Amino acid sequence: MLFWVVAALLTLAACMAVLLPLVRGREAGDSTGSHDLEVYRDQLAEVDRDAARGLIAAAEAEQARAEIGRRILRLGNQPTSATTSNGTAQRAAGMAAVLAIPLIAWGLYAFLGSPALPSQPLQDRLAKNPADSSVDELVARAEAHLAANPKDGRGWDVLAPIYLRIGRAGDAVIAYRNTISINGTTADRESGLGEAIAMAAGGMISADAEAAFRRALAAEPGNAKAQFYLASALAQEGKLTEAAAAWQAMLGTLPADSPWRSPIGRAIAEAERRASLAAGNAPADGPSQDQIDAAAEMSPQDRAAMIETMVAQLDERLRANPRDAEGWRRLVRSHQVLGNADAARDALQRGVAALGADSEEAKGLQAFAASLGLAKTE
Amino acid sequence: MIVETGHFALVLAFALALVQSTVPLIGARTGNERMMAVGGPAAITGFALIALSFAALTMAYAQSDFSVLNVWENSHSLKPMLFKITGTWGNHEGSMLLWVLILTFFGALVASFGANLPASLRANVLAVQGWIGAAFMLFLLATSNPFARLTPAPFEGQDLNPILQDIGLAIHPPMLYLGYVGFSICFSFAVAALIDGRIDAAWARWVRPWTLAAWVFLTGGIAMGSYWAYYELGWGGFWFWDPVENASFMPWLAGTALLHSALVMEKRSALKIWTVLLAILTFSLSLLGTFLVRSGVLTSVHAFATDPSRGIFILAILTVFIGGSLALFALRASSLTAGGIFQPISREGALVLNNLFLTTAAATVLIGTLYPLFIEAVSGDKISVGAPFFNLTFGLLMIPLLALVPFGPMLAWKRGDLLGAAQRLMFAFGGALLAVLVVLFFVDGASVFAALGAGLAFWLILGALTDLVLKAGIPQVKPSVAFSRLIGLPRSVFGTALAHLGLGLTVLGIVGVVSLEAERIVTMRPGETLDIAGYSLRFEGTQPFKGPNYTEDQGRFVLSGSGGQVLGEIMSAKRFYPVRQMPTTEAGIKTLGLSQLYISLGDATADGGIVVRVWWKPMVTLIWLGGLMMMIAGTISLMDRRLRVGAPAKRAKPSVDKPAASVS
Repeated sequence: MLFWVVAALLTLAACMAVLLPLVRGREAGDSTGSHDLEVYRDQLAEVDRDAARGLIAAAEAEQARAEIGRRILRLGNQPTSATTSNGTAQRAAGMAAVLAIPLIAWGLYAFLGSPALPSQPLQDRLAKNPADSSVDELVARAEAHLAANPKDGRGWDVLAPIYLRIGRAGDAVIAYRNTISINGTTADRESGLGEAIAMAAGGMISADAEAAFRRALAAEPGNAKAQFYLASALAQEGKLTEAAAAWQAMLGTLPADSPWRSPIGRAIAEAERRASLAAGNAPADGPSQDQIDAAAEMSPQDRAAMIETMVAQLDERLRANPRDAEGWRRLVRSHQVLGNADAARDALQRGVAALGADSEEAKGLQAFAASLGLAKTE
Repeated sequence: MIVETGHFALVLAFALALVQSTVPLIGARTGNERMMAVGGPAAITGFALIALSFAALTMAYAQSDFSVLNVWENSHSLKPMLFKITGTWGNHEGSMLLWVLILTFFGALVASFGANLPASLRANVLAVQGWIGAAFMLFLLATSNPFARLTPAPFEGQDLNPILQDIGLAIHPPMLYLGYVGFSICFSFAVAALIDGRIDAAWARWVRPWTLAAWVFLTGGIAMGSYWAYYELGWGGFWFWDPVENASFMPWLAGTALLHSALVMEKRSALKIWTVLLAILTFSLSLLGTFLVRSGVLTSVHAFATDPSRGIFILAILTVFIGGSLALFALRASSLTAGGIFQPISREGALVLNNLFLTTAAATVLIGTLYPLFIEAVSGDKISVGAPFFNLTFGLLMIPLLALVPFGPMLAWKRGDLLGAAQRLMFAFGGALLAVLVVLFFVDGASVFAALGAGLAFWLILGALTDLVLKAGIPQVKPSVAFSRLIGLPRSVFGTALAHLGLGLTVLGIVGVVSLEAERIVTMRPGETLDIAGYSLRFEGTQPFKGPNYTEDQGRFVLSGSGGQVLGEIMSAKRFYPVRQMPTTEAGIKTLGLSQLYISLGDATADGGIVVRVWWKPMVTLIWLGGLMMMIAGTISLMDRRLRVGAPAKRAKPSVDKPAASVS
């Protein structure tokens, strides 16, 4: 409200600045000739001063006076042509000018201005009662405080989970690292750090995050958050059954009112959905659910025969289409699981050759074989 | 509320400027006294509104009101209060508001002290000021509104460019703008004269003090900017022929020419049309400078933002004002009465020569500045026109001009005596010759160039002193009389002599630095010493330091003379501003007499040393002291009573005068 009063007063002042000269009666003005005369008089006085100081010779001064005198004579004596009476057209132009000021100013301001937005000096905003402040404001105040006192461990401790909650994961990682380095490690801080790292990576649980969760479990074996995320890590690696088992185990130990129960329930459901989806969609890549079910009911001999057939089919397919790293892995693993180490080694060699001995895929295959306990042949 | 009041005041000032640019003009065309009288109050109120607007923006900066976009972009709550306030004009929007503030300030001055001007001239001048003001206010509101808001407001700003967080920045732009914009008054007077088709006798008397005032400020602004670049950028150079520097130098050259031609016009009523043209050109070059710097055509520390719409807008302003005024000049110049004729050997002749040299020099700089832009626009090739071009063209033009400077004040108006003037300058010439010989034979490492340069500088200095001595009547009269005559000399005589003396000092400083500078770049470990120019510098080591919004590594050096006596400690630092992630160098400078020792820190080496660049800058301070002397000279000249013209008591008729006699 006060703003509009001030704006109105300013507008009034601006209009008066134009209006008053237009309506004020004025004496007949001076003509330009009188101004010229004044200049020439002044020049005469200057010549007199210079002559008195001896800066110019008497003859020169006389000459100069005569010259200025001639200029004055030439001025003549014409009356002024200026008028003070307003013609109708001029009066209308004057009034239009006065009216134009509020019209232009208010119109333009309505388009450009933000009259409803108050000034927000930083000091006032920081001095506001915390209860009235938004989360962003509180965070900003904490940040300002921590920028000045970066060694304040309690500040980092408070700020880190808030960052996490408002989605500033990158800042949360820094805050958790700071509080851990200043205040020391605890299960909550480490699991928070792990969560922040995972969130910053878009939910992917990296080795860094996993390490943090393991440190949390080391500090407190029953830490729910760490357990939950480690199980999620399993799920992300595709070990859906292990993940589901870990979550099931958690449900067994968690108290009945634990907030983790519902996310765990959802996670288990999700893992089961993915497991069935994987089974339904990948008949070419491995045994289908039907084949597995069928195998369960077979006699051991039949089952062995069936598996042999499947491995032979895979072998056939890889001969036709050798650039399939995943297929080679499965073949190597199958032979190894069946206790056929020579065949496994042979498959490994053929795979490496097919993928190109120096390729990343071949190295990956060799590493995979090594993890199965298959020694290198050479 | 304060912010929005400032915004509203700016919009209102724009509306008022539109009225100011039309109503007095109509009044002057129709001879309506009342409409002419609107100009004065409108100009004064407009200034008050812009001042309110600027105060509101400054307040927003001082209070770190980050709900203002401009404050958020250019400030930080941890900045020291001084730099919060100077940050107001350390950015595009704020500096343009300052530009408009100064423009309206000058308009208000004309309105307040212009009672002795003929009414129609005053009305026309204020109307032209109104056009310029309205154009730039519209530019602000349309493309660079300093009052744009940000909601929700962030809690921390993005900080000001660290190299602009300096006391030099507090002074340099306002001074430069006072100079640039001061020439707008001369421009307005020139255009007003063209509109009326008549130049009053008072015209030159009014234009000259304005030119002088603008020139004083521009001189100060350029000198300040040069010194700032010298100590802040860490290169130890005082002039780079950078386009932005040229942008301020061109109006200075043209303004210096205007200063001298206005003198001829005032004293002899000659060179009228030329002076009007020069007034237009000087302000046009100021506008061009504003365009080059503000449009983002040039990338440098000054081009705060690069926004094509701004560039096009300023280009439009430039086209309308320069093209319009030159077209008006082409139409109307013939109706102005040409000035008188004069002998080539005379004070007027010397001043015409001065004008020829200065305008040619300004044109040279203009070509050197615009040619690369032109080539880039046409062919896309980036070329750079650097010091070699300017030294060869501008430098060659300056040598004869400087050599002729002492003759000017020695010549009488109308009919000069060259031989007499040369005789009177015998002492100065002898002194200059002596300086050449001394430098050539007694200064180590001095080249012929250095010797001749020093001779030229002493020629200027001694020539200026000779002028004062002779005007005091030294050889003829007794010392006591001479002294009282010296005191009684008109201030403009002092102004002339001191300005030329200042020019000589600057030349001496430039010659000293360019020809005798010593530079060492070495890696130093703590405890090591370095010898330069007879001094010994011991590196004590670096230590970290934390400022309010930066951290720095301070390197400490102990300076001792050739005899081993300790002369003092020099501290040079490398700063880092975390908000902008920008490093800056803080040069360590020790002034020894007129010379300076300049230390700049480079990168640390792996073995614990640090790269140190040390310069010995002989007589470097004279460059800026000369500028200061020119400013003082201009101010003294401004106080001459001749420039105070009384208001007329009666009326008479305008007429055209033909000059025939000399006045002083």
